[in-house]
Amino acid sequence: MSEADLALWLTVGIGFGLRLVGLTLGGVLRADHPAIAWASAVSVATLACFVALALVMPSGLLATVPWPARLAGVVAGAAAYLGLGRRLLPAMLAGLAGLLLARLVTG
Amino acid sequence: MAPSAARDGAREALGAPALAMAATFIAFGAAVAEAGLSLGWSLVATGAVYGMAGQLVLLQATSLGAPAFVAMISATAANARFLPMSVAIAPLLGARTGWRRLLVVPFIAITPWAAGMRVLPGLPDSARLPWFLGFSAASWAVAMATTAAGHLAAPLLPVEWRAALLFTNPLYFALLMAGDLGRRGVAPAILGGVVAAPLAWWVGGAWGLPVAGLIGGTLAFLAMRAR
Repeated sequence: MSEADLALWLTVGIGFGLRLVGLTLGGVLRADHPAIAWASAVSVATLACFVALALVMPSGLLATVPWPARLAGVVAGAAAYLGLGRRLLPAMLAGLAGLLLARLVTG
Repeated sequence: MAPSAARDGAREALGAPALAMAATFIAFGAAVAEAGLSLGWSLVATGAVYGMAGQLVLLQATSLGAPAFVAMISATAANARFLPMSVAIAPLLGARTGWRRLLVVPFIAITPWAAGMRVLPGLPDSARLPWFLGFSAASWAVAMATTAAGHLAAPLLPVEWRAALLFTNPLYFALLMAGDLGRRGVAPAILGGVVAAPLAWWVGGAWGLPVAGLIGGTLAFLAMRAR
């Protein structure tokens, strides 16, 4: 089994475990218990860090997109999200369109 | 009652939530293909991890050549929200469901969870579990089909389109977090994660993200407790 496969199955197992523990604790702990709030904060922070790195310092194929085009995509997506009733799909399409249009300009 | 509640749940899942989900899972399938991993890997990740944040972090870590244990830690940190989400939804699944409530375990993910938290309190007790399972099964099926579509279509697309598809996932989560800013504790945790991003870059490799997430999230948690 490759490292990628092993990592995948380990993540599957831990994910099932977290959900199972959560369902069991659901009748015991309140959702604002400090342990639950800490797990939630770490989860959001990890995701925010991942997003920040992916947008500002991406790796792989996304790194071939010039930063002005990435910025244009984020601005277009955020503007559509705020201007169109906080709907995700139109915002994502606007973000993609912003990125592709900016890429036509920046090359 | 139960079959019709399941049908109602499935019908609701196949509306707007399916479209937004489809876009991100197509992008994930394309990213897995871009990383040189198999269609089977992408389908197991979607079908059994079933938490896009963790899926993306897992993919990134394995692409960097991280050892399996480190990749698992990174992905689990990103999906640690499974725990508070499960705690919050457990009381809403109905009383006297017995072992059948275990059927929801694979399906606690952001889209079914958010819909369940909104709809379940308004349903009769006996309809809650079938509704949630109907919704979850339908959205899971959409996720699987679109992951496969993304993986199979990616090599056929021009490089600019493939790069744009990879942009979809961070954008999706940026928007999702922006929409969640009003919820208690979210803004400090986002700030903690963003401020810790240079630390992730400095630590580098596969450990950068989990270390930064742990430190940023813990500092945000302590700041909230201190207030």
